[in-house]
Amino acid sequence: MRRVIRMGYHSLEAVKRVLRTGMGHCQGRGCLRLIARLIQEETGIPASEQKLPRPRPPLKPLPLGLLGAFEDEERSSKDQVRING
Amino acid sequence: MRSTADVVVIGAGVIGAATGYYLAKRGLKVLVLERDFPCSGSTGRCIGGIRAQFSHDLTIRVMMESVRMFRGLSDELGEDVEWYSGGYLFLAFDEKRKQAFSDAIAIQMRYGLDVRFVLPDECEKIAPGLDPTGLIGGAYCPTDGQANPFKVTYGYLEGIKRMGGGLVAGCEVKQVNRVGDKVVSVTDAKGHDYACNMVLNAAGCWADEVGAMAGVKVPVTADRHESLVTEAVERVFNPMLVDYRSDGCYFVQHSGTGHFIGCYTPVPLVPGHDVEVTEEFITEMPRRMVRLVPKLAGVKVLRQWAGSYEMSPDGNPLCGETSVRGFYVSSGMSGHGFMFGPALGRLMAEQMVDGRASIPLDEFFLSRSFGKAEAMK
Repeated sequence: MRRVIRMGYHSLEAVKRVLRTGMGHCQGRGCLRLIARLIQEETGIPASEQKLPRPRPPLKPLPLGLLGAFEDEERSSKDQVRING
Repeated sequence: MRSTADVVVIGAGVIGAATGYYLAKRGLKVLVLERDFPCSGSTGRCIGGIRAQFSHDLTIRVMMESVRMFRGLSDELGEDVEWYSGGYLFLAFDEKRKQAFSDAIAIQMRYGLDVRFVLPDECEKIAPGLDPTGLIGGAYCPTDGQANPFKVTYGYLEGIKRMGGGLVAGCEVKQVNRVGDKVVSVTDAKGHDYACNMVLNAAGCWADEVGAMAGVKVPVTADRHESLVTEAVERVFNPMLVDYRSDGCYFVQHSGTGHFIGCYTPVPLVPGHDVEVTEEFITEMPRRMVRLVPKLAGVKVLRQWAGSYEMSPDGNPLCGETSVRGFYVSSGMSGHGFMFGPALGRLMAEQMVDGRASIPLDEFFLSRSFGKAEAMK
């Protein structure tokens, strides 16, 4: 993270484009404030003045089948993809 | 204040970065000016598919060259760009689509592309889990693939810096200055001048505004496309699946992480640059994905976003020198800028330095008449 900030990427948006920070499971809710603090430490730009990336739905991860409004009985639970991790 | 360069590139998306890189390799001093930050336009919103399956001869040739270059790009840039040759499988659900694919395959095979029409049972082998209901076959090219748009673009930009060029982010070009019919410099919003012999307009869906600064009409229009990404799951299949039905979609599983990422082209199109997302997409896209691959129903969506395709009148790029000497354009990628990046970047660099590219780009020249549209948009 510090290496990328030192390469000249001085905003949450720019760092996000290099490292995909804020685009995983927490969608930035956990990590962005920490990264803003690192940017502050490296560049002196106060964390409170850093623009946050645009929040994107969904608020929390939701299954494709639920969002697509598939009925439960249409899905057989035995033939479903395994989640990593 | 004044800077000088051989070439000023406007726009740090993949097209500006790649073209700038190959210009720098030819020994030119390149400055890339970016209004916002690298990948802030269409490149950073693209889903990363790379294919040579098109219907237009020149597009096929350039894309085959791009695929060849993507294979060696991690070595070239010293950065793992996550190239993966998982193929593309285009699905046909009616005879008309099957015919269009067969016609395109005949053209693609003339150039030696490894592509064939496959029956539904083979489609299921290529994409395990695919529901073959209504399917009559598919066009399959195993050498198509995927890569990471951010890694590719940043790799090119870092290469430009290594070769003595530079990137100026947060630099909004306001004027393109001429003496007679020859470009001489550009001026940014802070009044800084960049003197140069050549300017490349690689401003994506804003290439019309940059063109207008030089009095050049660049006919690009933005269309909104929405995308989503799911959580990472076990490997399901390798290819990008493309369903061209009016309620179809296209999606691919990232080769390394296992995330599914995909989008669709809305009917009717949504014109104008707008990166807001809709409820319609985040319900429709999952419905379309699960219809094709039912066992994805339990996979969770992490995020949706939107970006623009910069469309040209015929769906092919707008390239070459303009009516202003030294003022070049490379835009109008019509949703294919990322996959065009390496080859079109190198060919445009040849065009600008030698006056002629090793694969002649005449059919992409801005000055062409806009006829037959690309059938595999």
